[in-house]
Amino acid sequence: MCHMFSLEMNEPDGNRLKAEIPRKSLLLMAAFACTGVVFAAVSSYDFIAHLDRQVHAITCSIVPGLGAPDASGASGCHAVLMSPYSSVLRDLTWGGIPIALPALGVFVFLLFRAVDLSLRKHLARGETAFMVAATALPVLTSIVYSVISLTMIGTLCTVCIGIYVSSLGVFVTAIAAHLLAHRPEPPSRAQASSPWASWSFYFLEGVALVALPVLVYLTLKPPYSDSLLHTSGLRHPEDKYGVMLDMRSGGTVPAVEVLDPLCPACKGFAERLAASSRFSELQIKVVLFPLDKECNWMVNESLHAGACAVSEALLCAGERANHVLDWAFLHQAELRALGQEGAAAIYGRIKRDFPALATCVGQPKVRDRINQGLRWIVANSLPVLTPQLFVRNQKLPDEDTDLGLDYVLARVLAQGAVGGEVRP
Amino acid sequence: MNVGRAHMVLMLLALAGVGLPVASWTRAASGRMAESQGKAPEVATASASDMSYCTGDLKVILKRVLVSCGLVSGGSSRGCQPLQARQVAAMSGGDFNALFEPLADRAAIIQFDKDSADLDVTAAALLEKTFADRRGASYFFVVSRASPEGSVEYNRELSRRRGNVVLDHIRAKFQDPDIEQEVGLLWLGKEFAQLDQKFCQWTRSRNSELCNTADLNRSAFIAWIDCRL
Repeated sequence: MCHMFSLEMNEPDGNRLKAEIPRKSLLLMAAFACTGVVFAAVSSYDFIAHLDRQVHAITCSIVPGLGAPDASGASGCHAVLMSPYSSVLRDLTWGGIPIALPALGVFVFLLFRAVDLSLRKHLARGETAFMVAATALPVLTSIVYSVISLTMIGTLCTVCIGIYVSSLGVFVTAIAAHLLAHRPEPPSRAQASSPWASWSFYFLEGVALVALPVLVYLTLKPPYSDSLLHTSGLRHPEDKYGVMLDMRSGGTVPAVEVLDPLCPACKGFAERLAASSRFSELQIKVVLFPLDKECNWMVNESLHAGACAVSEALLCAGERANHVLDWAFLHQAELRALGQEGAAAIYGRIKRDFPALATCVGQPKVRDRINQGLRWIVANSLPVLTPQLFVRNQKLPDEDTDLGLDYVLARVLAQGAVGGEVRP
Repeated sequence: MNVGRAHMVLMLLALAGVGLPVASWTRAASGRMAESQGKAPEVATASASDMSYCTGDLKVILKRVLVSCGLVSGGSSRGCQPLQARQVAAMSGGDFNALFEPLADRAAIIQFDKDSADLDVTAAALLEKTFADRRGASYFFVVSRASPEGSVEYNRELSRRRGNVVLDHIRAKFQDPDIEQEVGLLWLGKEFAQLDQKFCQWTRSRNSELCNTADLNRSAFIAWIDCRL
C-alpha cells in the first residue's frame, strides 16, 4: 500500500493514469471547506464554552463575529445547541461529544485534501473520485441534521445552515473537479492499479483528523466531581396542599419537577428529559411555579406573562394536564404575547382551545391552588427559577439541567441504586 | 517541494489546526469551571412577601397578636377578646386602626345585620374572594366588631360570634391544612378601635347601601397581611 502511494506522491512523468488538475474547482472546494471549518469551529467553541457549567452568549450569525451573540437564549442556535441532538454519548461524559467537533475534523480534512490536490501537477482521477465520496459524508450528515432540526427541534440555526451550505458546496465542487479532471487514455491491464490502497490511506488521514479533536476534548474537558452533586433536597417534600400534578409517570423513581408552563427553558428541559434514556425510570410529579406577577409575588416583573392563567388551566385539566402542558409548550410565544395583552386575552384563548375548562379557570378555588403551590415552594426555600428537578429528593444542580442532564441523571440514579435508598 | 513532503507538511498543519484550538477552548472551560466552584449562584430564594407597609409598629402588633391570640403558641384558645386586644396593641383605638390603613387595597369589611352573626350571600362571596387573593401573605386577620347599641358584654359575645362565623366559613370553603396557623382573630365588641366614617370608602359587602358608623361596626374587618416576621 505504501509503495503504491509513494509512487503517486512522486508523480512519475508520463504516468498515463494521471489527469490534469481542475485547479479552479479544487480552490473553490477549498474555499467551501474553509467556510465549513469556520462554522464548525464556531459551533464547537460555543459548545465547549458551556463545559464550565455556566451560561454563555452564543454566536448565531451567518457571518460569525459580525452579528451580536445571542445572550437571551431565544435564537434557533441556542435551541439546537441545548437540544439532545447537539452531542452524542451524553450518558458517558458530561455534555457528550459535540457533533460539531467531528464536523470540524471533516472540514479540516477536506480543506487539507483540496489544497494538497491543487498543489499537484498531475492528478489521478481516483483522487477526485475519493473526494466525491468524502464530501458525501458531510452532505448526508447535513441532510439528517436539517431534518432533525426541522422536525424534532422545530427551528434551524444560522451557524448550522452555514455548515449545510458548506457541505453542499464541497460536494458540488468535488463532483465538478472529478468531471473536469481530464480523462486519461484507458490503461493497459499491467498499468492499471487499484485505488483502494491510496483511498485507505486518505481514509485513515481523515479518521486521524476527526479523532484528534475528539480525543483532545475528552482528555482536557473539566472532570465532573461527585461533590457537585451534593445539593440540598426538599425540606418538605410532602404534598399536603395537593398541588402536585401526576403527569409524566412511567417509572418508579420518585421525582419532582418544578416548572413554569410558559418558560422556554422548561420546554427545552422537558424535551431533553423526555429524550433521555433514563426518563422512563422516573415517576415525575410537577409543581407549577409561574414566573408571572399576576399570581406570583416573588417576581416584580412578569418573566412569562400569562403563566398564571395557563397554570390554572393545567390544574383544572386534572388527568388531562399533560395535554394542556404540551399545548402550552407548543404555543409558548403566542401565549406570552396574549399574557402581555391582559387577563381577558389569555383566558379567552384558554377557553377557546379548552372549552371544558371555561368554568374552572379564573375562579377563586383554582387560584387558591396556584397560591398553595407557590407556598409549597416557599416552604421548601427553592430558588426563584425554573426548571428544577429533584430525583429521590436530591436536587439536580441547576447548571446540569441542560447539556449535562443525561450524565448527571445517570449518576444520581446510579447512586440511588447503589445506596438502595428510596425517599419520598 | 516533493509532493509527498508537501502532503506530510499539510497533514501536520491540519492536525495542529484542528487540535490546538480545541485544546485551548477546552482548557479555558476547565479553568473557568475551577474558578467558579464554591461560588454561590446569585438567585433569589422563594419567600413570603414583606411589603413596605410592614412597619416596625405593625410587626410588633402582629407578633403580639400571633403569640397572644393562639396562632403561634398553638394554644387551646383562639382569638383575642377586647381587653386582651387593648393590652396586646398597647395603643389607642385610633392608632390601632391607623396601622391597617395601608391595607386599603387588600382589606374588606364584611357587614352583618343588627344583632346578627349570619353571613349573607354577598358577604360570603366577598369573604371568599378576599381570602382567595392571598398572594404572598403569611397571615389573615379577622377583626370583628359590634355597633354601640346594647351592653358591653352582649357586644363582646356578638363580635366573637361574627369572627367565628368568618373563620368557620373559610374552613368550610378552603381546605387549607395550615389554616390554624394563618388566621388571627380579634373581637373588639363595641369598646375598642371602632371604625370611623372614612372606612366607608373601603371595600364592603354592602357597598350599594348608605354607610354610617353603626353599620360599619356591625362587621368583620378582614385582610391578608403581607408581612414577614
